[in-house]
Amino acid sequence: MSDLNDERAEHDEHDERDGELHDGLLEEELRQAAAILDPVPAELRRTAVDAFVLHDLDARVAELTFDSLVDGIPVRGETDPPRMLTFQSDGVTVDVEVTAEGLIGQLLPPGPAGIEVLSGPREHARLTADDMGRFAGEAPPAGPFALRLRTGRAVVVTEWLRA
Amino acid sequence: MNGLLAVGTTRSTAYDGRSYTRGGTVDRADVGALVQSAADGDAAAWKSLVDGLGPLVWSVARSHGLSDADAHEVYQTAWFRFAQHLGRIREPEKTGSWLASTARHECLKLLKASKRWTPTDDPQLLDRPSEERTPEESVLDSEEAAAQTERVRLLWQEFEELGERCRQLLRVLISSPPPSYQEVSAALGIAVGSIGPMRQRCLRRLRARLEARGTK
Repeated sequence: MSDLNDERAEHDEHDERDGELHDGLLEEELRQAAAILDPVPAELRRTAVDAFVLHDLDARVAELTFDSLVDGIPVRGETDPPRMLTFQSDGVTVDVEVTAEGLIGQLLPPGPAGIEVLSGPREHARLTADDMGRFAGEAPPAGPFALRLRTGRAVVVTEWLRA
Repeated sequence: MNGLLAVGTTRSTAYDGRSYTRGGTVDRADVGALVQSAADGDAAAWKSLVDGLGPLVWSVARSHGLSDADAHEVYQTAWFRFAQHLGRIREPEKTGSWLASTARHECLKLLKASKRWTPTDDPQLLDRPSEERTPEESVLDSEEAAAQTERVRLLWQEFEELGERCRQLLRVLISSPPPSYQEVSAALGIAVGSIGPMRQRCLRRLRARLEARGTK
């Protein structure tokens, strides 16, 4: 009886290892199929390589702390509400409102700043915040964008996201 | 007694082999060092990171049933954020998981946005493979390789017809080089411990489909 159990256990063990081997082979075959039929598109790889220029250890990153898409309560009847975004880094807050018509924003504490609208590694537009820290411009580019703000004291870059 | 002990030992070895020494762990050993070099200004190190981890990021975008355009944006956003956070990531050796989790959150956000604004926009319907042929595909089209092409297409077709959960898990698992289970966990928001059993079930389901079609 005990022998029989041992034998069965050994047999199961064998099947188990066999199955695992088969699984591994099938996974590998599937990996090759993915590399052929669904690879990273070449232009995307290039964009990611070019994105190296975006690293800047001196800039402060302003993290997204509010996004109406995630944190907002949908307003009934409004089909295309403006996207409200708030970015914060120590001591600096940037509020941005994006609609199909354009982008308006407020820098806090209020003050003048030069602003670049970044579309990936490329600069999309240049805006200026007035003495009250207000700025406005055309709608951000399709795809992910970020704002680089140069105030008198610091360079702040907002977290990347799609409008 | 001896028999039992032997079985126990074999089993734990097999388990270790499966969970902890997937190719990914070895291939990923240098990630921390590459991240450090890139943060110090080494563009070649950055390129190596893009080539080593890009397919993982892409697989996360592809596994969430997004449109092609949205998948492209997820991939880009993940890399732009990584460039922005280069030199600030607390555990550089876990960059694969960081990128996978960043991509996942972006996917969930886009899915939410498309549901809210375009309820009729079925991401599954939009998710058509690109018509453009890759160089690898063109090579496969040559006469000699016709049989292999057929086999690859059939395999992919059956893969795409698996249930959503299996398709999602396998799409990330088969990125190249093989991701670690930590990375898969970050990519899909599932516990590391459940990946092995799910993987086994999904691969066996796929094999059953292939057998039913008379291949393999």
